[in-house]
Formats: sequence, C-alpha cells, structure tokens
Amino acid sequence: MSKTVKTKPHAPKEGPDHYLLRLFIAGNGQNSLKALANLRSLCQEHLEGRFTIETVDVIDDFQAAVRDNILITPALILVAPLPRVMILGNLSDRQKVLLALRVSEDIS
Amino acid sequence: MQGKRQPIPKVATKIAGLDEILEGGLPQGRTTVVSGGPGSGKTVLGLEFLCRGAVAGEPGVFVTFEERAETIRLNAWSLGWDLAALEKAGKIILVEARLPGEEIVSGDFDIQGMLAIVAGQVKRIGAKRVVMDALDVLLRIYSDPKRERNELSSLHDWLTDQKLTSILSVKTHRDDNQESHYEFLDFMADCVIQLDHRVVGQVATRRLRVIKYRGSGFGTNEYPYVFGEHGIVLFPLTTTELTHQPLGPKVSTGLKGLDLMLDGGFRRASCVLISGNSGTGKTTLASTFTRAACLRGEKVLYLNYEESREAMISGMLSPGIDLRPPLRDGKLLIQTAMPESTGSDNHLYRVMETMDSFKPNHIILDAVSACVRMGSKQAAFDFMMRLISVVKERGITSILTNQVNIRVDTDEELSGVGFSSVVDAVVQLRFVETEQEMTRQMLIVKSRGSAHSNRRQLYVITDRGIEFPDIPQRPPVRAGKTRRKDGGA
Repeated sequence: MSKTVKTKPHAPKEGPDHYLLRLFIAGNGQNSLKALANLRSLCQEHLEGRFTIETVDVIDDFQAAVRDNILITPALILVAPLPRVMILGNLSDRQKVLLALRVSEDIS
Repeated sequence: MQGKRQPIPKVATKIAGLDEILEGGLPQGRTTVVSGGPGSGKTVLGLEFLCRGAVAGEPGVFVTFEERAETIRLNAWSLGWDLAALEKAGKIILVEARLPGEEIVSGDFDIQGMLAIVAGQVKRIGAKRVVMDALDVLLRIYSDPKRERNELSSLHDWLTDQKLTSILSVKTHRDDNQESHYEFLDFMADCVIQLDHRVVGQVATRRLRVIKYRGSGFGTNEYPYVFGEHGIVLFPLTTTELTHQPLGPKVSTGLKGLDLMLDGGFRRASCVLISGNSGTGKTTLASTFTRAACLRGEKVLYLNYEESREAMISGMLSPGIDLRPPLRDGKLLIQTAMPESTGSDNHLYRVMETMDSFKPNHIILDAVSACVRMGSKQAAFDFMMRLISVVKERGITSILTNQVNIRVDTDEELSGVGFSSVVDAVVQLRFVETEQEMTRQMLIVKSRGSAHSNRRQLYVITDRGIEFPDIPQRPPVRAGKTRRKDGGA
C-alpha cells in the first residue's frame, strides 16, 4: 500500500516555473500504478529538476479526496503554476497530458 | 414444489404508506433502485429515508451527483427536515460528488475516489444507510455501456460488502429509450421502485410502483402519492378487509320533519348522500345538519368545492342559517378549494391533514359533482372511495351532496361517480311541476339499518330554513314484521 508521499528527485528550486503536481491514486489499482509510472517518466523527461509529485492514496486519506473533490481516480491536479488543472485517467496519452500541463510549448 | 419463503430482514422507511406496500420496508443491507422522470420525487424519497433513519438512530450518507449540497439542504428544509442540524449532530453526512465538468481525460479511470470518500464517511459516523442521488449523472462519464456495467457491478458489490441499506436513484425519460439503458441496474438491484409523474386531464398526478423485490412479496398496484408537509405520502388501499366502524346511534338531521321520516335521524358514522337538481336546497339541508350538530357541541368539517367560504356563509343567511357562531366557536371548519387547482391526491391529502388536526364528528362534502373537475371521473371516484373509506374507519358521519341534471332513479346515477355501495342513506330532492306551481319534494331512497318513510314529502325553503307544510309521518313501525305477517310481497 502506498502512503501519501512526496517524491522530490531534486531539491525544488520553487521558482515560478516549478511544477507542483498532486496525483490521487486508489491503493494498488492497475490504473493507479500506471498513472504513477506514466507521470514519473513524463516529469523526468520534460521537467527535470523542476517538479514535485505529491501522491495521495484516497483509500488511506479520504479527507484529502473530500478536500479536492476527487471522485475519479487516478486524478492529477496541477497545483502550481496556476491556473489549476485536473486530468483524469492513467495518463497514458502523454501528448494530451503535456498539453494540459502547458509543458508542450517548452519542448518546441 | 416450493419451500416456505424465509422472511428477509427489512428496514422500515417510515415514509407514510410505503412500508405497507413494501410489506415492511426496504431490504436490509441491500440495494434498492428508484427510477423516475424529472420532478417525480426521487431525491425527496431518498432524503426522507435518510432523515427518518437518522432521527431513529440509523446514521446515513447522502451522495449527490447533480444537485448542490445547499440545494439538498433547502429541499429537506421545505419538508420540515433540518438537515444541517442532523449533519452537525453527526447523523447525516452530505457528500457533494459533482464532477467539475471541464476536466481533461487521459486514459482509463475508475470511481475508486468516490467509493473511498463514501467509505470514509460511512466509517466516520457508523452509517447504516446510503443514498446515491442521480447516479445517472456519474455514469455519463462512461461512454461505453460495458464499462458502465462493470462499474455498477463493483459499486453494488461494494455496497453489499459494507452491509449498507442503499438507495440508488436514476433519472429516466419516458420518451427516449433509457429503460433498456438501466436494465442492468434493475437486474442487479434487490428492489426496484418506479416513480411516475404524469398529467391526466390537465392535472398532475404521481404514481409509485414496485417493479421487483427479491425474496419478498409487495403491493403490485400503482399507488398515488403526494408531497405532504413532511415528505412523501402514499395512499395504499392495500387492506383487503374493510375496517369500517359499525353504524352508530341516530343523530338528528336538524329538521324535525326529516327526523320523523328517518325514524330519528341519520345514523352516526354512516355515509349520507343528498342528491338533487340545482336549486333544490342541498347545501341548505347540509348546512341545517351542520348548524344543529355544532349547537350540540359536535364538530363539523365542511368541504366546499363549489363556492367560497364567504359566498356560502352569506348564501345560508337567506334561509336563516347563521354559520358564523359555530365558526367563531371553532365547532365548524369550512375548507374550500377549486377542484381543478390540483390533483385528487393532493385534495385528499389536504382533507386528511385537516381531519387529523380538527378531529371532526361529521364531515360534509359539497359537492361530489364538482370533484369530477379534479381531473376525471376516475380521479373523482378514487378521491371519494378513499375519503369515505377513511371517514368510515374513523367513525365519522359523512354527508355528500351531488347535483344531478336529469331525473334519475338509480343509485349509481344518484351518486354520480358510481360509489353507491358505500353510501348508507340517500335523500333525494327534486322539483315537481304541477299545473299551478313548481314544488319541491323530498324522498328517502334508502336508509341502511333503519326504518324510513317511503313517501314523497313536500317541503319549502323559507327565511326560517327548510319547512314541511304537511307534518311528515313516521315510517310504519316494524314495517317488515307486519309485511311478513301478511304473507310478504
């Protein structure tokens, strides 16, 4: 069982282009594990050194799900930079996720 | 060969009339599906189930997929339920599970988040009941029916594992083909209730029907229901046996002459029909009885579907019947309504509420002929049958007036809507034309459990009320016995 953990591969610089991502998962469900793997690889590839992933397991911490109105899992919230964005699903469509996270301009 | 059915455990809903139809209540620890069109009262039913449970010591969680929590609270408030207080007391938790609507979807997902929230809240207050309102809204996120079925199935399994008595409500539209859409839901659930909201003869009516109940019997009819002051009220006529009170002792009609014709008067707890053409004095006769009863200290509820209270009071002053003193003393209550203002179910509910609070000894209904305007002849019949049934159960005397337009002789036609079997006595008023004048005649057509005169009796309406120029005669004493002595026929 995964607990709510913060993954900080590099010390965050907390600059204006720093990404704070909150991923809601439900235990070891297939979609949850896929989402986590997809998100990690995406961040490492496109946001190296400027991202923080907060993983919240709704089964352990349902209050967190209440706070962010998480009905569907997996669900990814882009907390910063603003504006907030919510992406549902296991994040398998990488292009769509990059676009939603406003990262795709950066690579072009 | 069929084994004897084990009774399954049930949870009483305490919703007026529903438990009778469900033979005890909803299946305990199981799922019930409530489906119906917009405005049929699915939310109200679920809400009332939870509120009544919470008050009785069974906490519950209400999950709303469509309405805002604040709307639900207002909705409950209008039914006299203080949801906010129940929430504060930890007896009900309201979960607003509305999808944001503008989220982006990438890849597969499930409703684990929602289940985690509900599970957490259930645990927090020790909930026994769960209502998921407008589940169809949540299901919209699945475009694939197979995925939808899988999710429904896992939701059902989860609810059953948690031993929660649950209501899942779904919106259906009669025109589109959604019935098949939720077929799986109906198949999966242990109990399926359909709510129907339709308009018949320009009057809205609501009907509840139980489609299935695994492991239990249930009332299979369509039952009318209304939204009462404290939630849904159903009128099941499920009792197969009649529990009417026996007819009581004689009670004066307020007219000496008529008392003579009836060998003492009407019988208490009987149903009396006064039938006659327009202008024969039906209201005058009913008001005469009313005033006399009130003077004796008895209470009369006068239902007037033909004219306003003021018009009736002033109209009765001309034949010298002053209804103002009994009104002031609280012995008389005049309730008026336009028959077409609402459906017969709402009219019945209104009368029942008044009867509960006012506790009348007698009830006057003026007029049966106006009740047809509640929608249809059938609506009028339903209303009359249910009303008479209730007053007879409570031992209340009922006097109904009915306006007929032609000379009629049969009971069926006298009552207008064919409920004559429950009528105990019939007084017929009619105009009789002679060469010189138009006179009025009164005839007792029938009087169950009582001797009565069989003579047509001349009467006039003066400023002192109804008067008989010739003194009416008592019915021949023991007429039956005499006839038998004579050899009958």
